[in-house]
This record gives sequence, structure tokens and C-alpha cells, in this order.
Amino acid sequence: MKNKIKELIEKIKKDKEYSKKMEELKKKDPYVYKNF
Amino acid sequence: MIKLGISAFYHDSAACVTIGGRVIAAVEEERFTEIKHDYSFPINSIKWCLREAKIEFKHINEIHWYENPEKKDDRVSTTFAKKPFRTFFLNRKYKKSKKSQNPKDILESMGYTGKIIYHDHHYSHAAFAYFTSNYDHSAILTVDGVGEWETTTISVGKGRKIEKKISIDFPNSLGMLYSTITSYLGFKPNEGEYKVMGLAPYGNAETYKDKLRSIFNNTSNKYTIDQKYFTWEYSDKIMFNKNLCILLDLPPRLPGEELTQDHKYLASALQTVYEEQFLRLLKTVKSITKSNNICLGGGCAYNGVANKLAYKYFKSVHIPFAPSDAGSAIGVCLTSQTKVSPYLGPEFKSSTIKRVLSGYKDRLYYLPLSDEKLINKIAGYLCNQHIVAWFQGRMEFGARALGNRSILASPRDPKMREKLNRVIKKREGFRPFAPSVLEKDVGKFFDVKEPVPHMNVVAKTKVKYLPAATHIDGTSRVQTVNKQQNYKYYKLIEKVGKISGVPVVLNTSFNLKDQTITLSPKQAIERYLSSEIDVLVINNFLILKQ
Repeated sequence: MKNKIKELIEKIKKDKEYSKKMEELKKKDPYVYKNF
Repeated sequence: MIKLGISAFYHDSAACVTIGGRVIAAVEEERFTEIKHDYSFPINSIKWCLREAKIEFKHINEIHWYENPEKKDDRVSTTFAKKPFRTFFLNRKYKKSKKSQNPKDILESMGYTGKIIYHDHHYSHAAFAYFTSNYDHSAILTVDGVGEWETTTISVGKGRKIEKKISIDFPNSLGMLYSTITSYLGFKPNEGEYKVMGLAPYGNAETYKDKLRSIFNNTSNKYTIDQKYFTWEYSDKIMFNKNLCILLDLPPRLPGEELTQDHKYLASALQTVYEEQFLRLLKTVKSITKSNNICLGGGCAYNGVANKLAYKYFKSVHIPFAPSDAGSAIGVCLTSQTKVSPYLGPEFKSSTIKRVLSGYKDRLYYLPLSDEKLINKIAGYLCNQHIVAWFQGRMEFGARALGNRSILASPRDPKMREKLNRVIKKREGFRPFAPSVLEKDVGKFFDVKEPVPHMNVVAKTKVKYLPAATHIDGTSRVQTVNKQQNYKYYKLIEKVGKISGVPVVLNTSFNLKDQTITLSPKQAIERYLSSEIDVLVINNFLILKQ
């Protein structure tokens, strides 16, 4: 049970990390790819 | 018949003029605007091509456009309709750009009322690849990001006819996957793909290979790509979403951030998975066409490592000098096999060069020399580990400098690669340099099956004494040179061979960090003065700093 909770916390942390990075990317807007 | 070929509004805009089926002039717009991969309407290129062909706009009989705007519009509208709310603002932006990017309106506003012929995006790639080959029967494989709907096509070329057999449509795109991971690694898509290719041999594919494989669903002769990881259908900005981050379990790299081993592993996995899919395509092409020859086109044909795989199924492989969208401006004008040299751009007279040089009298020494004296002198400089900027005749068309707008150096000096990367070009240290070798001697140094005049196949290096032009995995993106291709460059390499015993020079494009390839003598001089290049040669002028 302890391990599972640990895993879950780890997952949430990572999820936050990705979200933060995606937000940063959106702000920086470096990847303009004109596929339209 | 006078034709004007145009590619524009995606990336690498370009124009080409043919008269009676002969290519008179062709150039990419970026060379004039100095914006890398410029996608704007190539007005400067058109003007220059017309001037070079000594014609006016009214003399053009037909204008050939490299893609079909109606079909493209169908793809975009259909895609947006899938997610109408999410794409609301994007749709508005697209409609606005569609109006301003209508080829007919633009050309009419320039006074053209003649015929405009629209070709399918992948047909334009196929035509450029096939009609610049010397085959009268060949398989044709085109792979890129996206055209109208198509992202990959397999065709057969027979005589003057190109017949399409199979196509794979958007959003299933190998090219877009490569661009997406390029952006994930902090490089610019449509520009940084070759950096990822250069980074790949530094890593091991194992960590991310299976994760990237899981994105594909392979059917008998096609593939689909799981869209849950990508935003290709509803964004023109970031190409991936959080699902991809979670799948890879690696946060995306921001531009300028340190390159870690994980980034190298991801680059390696991407190249591996790309090669697997490319090999599957090649197998399909062989089974459909039964041809011994293949022509490769589309932006993905710049992937020299994957291109080599074509020899597994085909005896002969032709890759044109500019397989991406730029080359399509030439391709659309061709209707039969045509010998087209890559040296199609502007050249400058001695009197013009002299006039430009006279403005730098206080900063430069310059001396006009005969061909023989110049070649002897420059070969000596190269053998003594000097770096030479070599500017000759007509500028190359395409991404590769093939000996007319090149920075040359000795590939035998182990420190040369670092010096060029760090001091001259100020670029990432992991990026390799290419060697140019005499065609007749290529077998002594590199494991190639046939000549590679356009530097688009990567080959194993057989010798250990070319460290500056050999990548970490022991390969080189070699260019073979013969007398007919480029006489002066051939003679220079030959002379280097006579002095050093090794007829090979390191060849990289004549530009500094983030610059487009040098177009004019003035640009050449300015770049020479602002860098640590030792010697500049413009046509027959030997130029040194005071």
C-alpha cells in the first residue's frame, strides 16, 4: 500500500512536471510548424 | 515553351524558369531574403530567374504551381471539422492566409493572365526525382511531412509517364513524426531534422525504441500513426501533447537547454524507428514496381542514413540535389528526362567582384590568379590545415553546398572538426562534416555502391585518417566529384591528392551560424571578415585579410 501511494505521488509529480514544461513551451512558442 | 515553376507558402520557397524543356535558372527565396527556409512568395527568385533567362513576365507561356490549393483546402477543412471548437481561431487564421496566399490572385496582380497549372504536391516531388534521373523505368518513393492529403506516395516512372500506385494520407506521416521529435528535442522543425540525425549515433535506441514503435500500427503495405500523442490536426504551434511526454517519460527539451544522454537516446530511437518504417516502404515499393531502380523524393530524402537502405532492394538509387519543396519548383516544369545541374543560381562577373573588392582595400589583400596557379595555391593552403572559403560560378540549388559556395578544410586534421564547429560555424559540437572525394577514388575511402554527386547517402568510411569528416559511428555523408560535374572543384581535389596522397577535402556550406548559404561576393567578404576563415577565394581572386 505504501509503495502504491509512493508511486501515485511520483506520478502526480511527473504529471505536474510535464504540464509545467508544456506551459513553458506554449509561452515560448518555439515550434511554429505550418502544416496548414 | 517558357515555363515558370513556383513553390511557396510552406517552406523553402523557390522559382525556376525552363525554356524548351531546359532549366535556365532556379533559386530559393531564402538566398535573397536571408531568412532560412523562407516560405514567402518567391518574388525575388522569380525576378532573378526572369532576368537570368533574359525574358519578361509577359513571355511566360505557363506557370506551374507545386501543389493543388483546392485539394489542400479540402484536407484542412475536413481536419478542422473534426474539432470545430478547438480549431475555431486557427480556422479563422487559415481562411485569412488562404485569401492572401491564393496563387491565381497573386499572379494576376503581377499582370499574368495565362495558364496556371496546379500539380499534386507529391507528384511535384516525384517528377523532380524521376525526370532528373537517367532511368527510363524506375520506382519512385516520395516521403515528406504533408502535401494536400498525401504524406507518402509510391509511383512508377516509365518513359515520360509517372503513375501513382499507392499513397498514405495525413495525419499518418513519417515526416511529421520526425519533425515532432525534432521539436521535442528542442530543435526547430523543418530545419533541425539533420541535427537529430547527427545526434542519433551518440545514443542507444533501446530506451525509447519500443515506445516510438507503439505509436505505429502497421498494415500490409501502409501504416497509421496514433494521433493521441500529437496535435497535428488542431495546432500549428506545438506538435505534440502531454501524452507523448508521458509515453516517453521524458520532459521535452527547451531550445538552449543542455543535451542529455536521454536526448541522444531519443534521437537514436527516432532514427531507428524511421529506418524500420522506411525499409518496410522500400519492400512494398519493390514488390509493387519490380524495378531495379528507385528515385527518392520529398524532404525525407535528405535522410542520407535511411537512403542507404534502398540498396537492399534496388541496384541503382537516384536522389536529386534538392528533394524537399524547393526542388518541386523545378520538378513541375519537367516532362521528360532532363540533365539538370545543381549549379542553377546567380554568378558574378570578375569586373563586379573587382568593384566590390575595391571597397575593402584597407582591410583585404586580393590578387587575381590563373586557374592553375589558384588551384596550386589553395591546395597548398588546405594541405597546411588552413580553412578556405571557396566561392565559384553559379550558386547551388538546395540545402547542400556542392563546391561552389563551400568552406573547405583538411579532413585529415583531427582538430579541424572542433575548430570548424566551435570557432567558424559556432554550432553544436556533435554535428559532422562531409567529405568531397574524386569519383574515381571513392572506393578507396568510402563504402559506396555508386557515385553520390549530391551528398545524400551516408557511407561507411574505410580509412582511419579522415577524422574531421568521419562521424562518431564511422560514417560520412560523402560527395563524389567528377570532371563534368564541377571541373574546377575536381581539379582542386585532384591537386590536394597529389600533394597529400589523399584526394579528399572537407566540404561544408559557406555560411556562419544561422545564416543562409552565401549568395554574393559582398556577403562572402563580410562573412570572411567576421569569421576566422583563413583564406577567401571568389572565382579567380585570392583574398587574404590584412
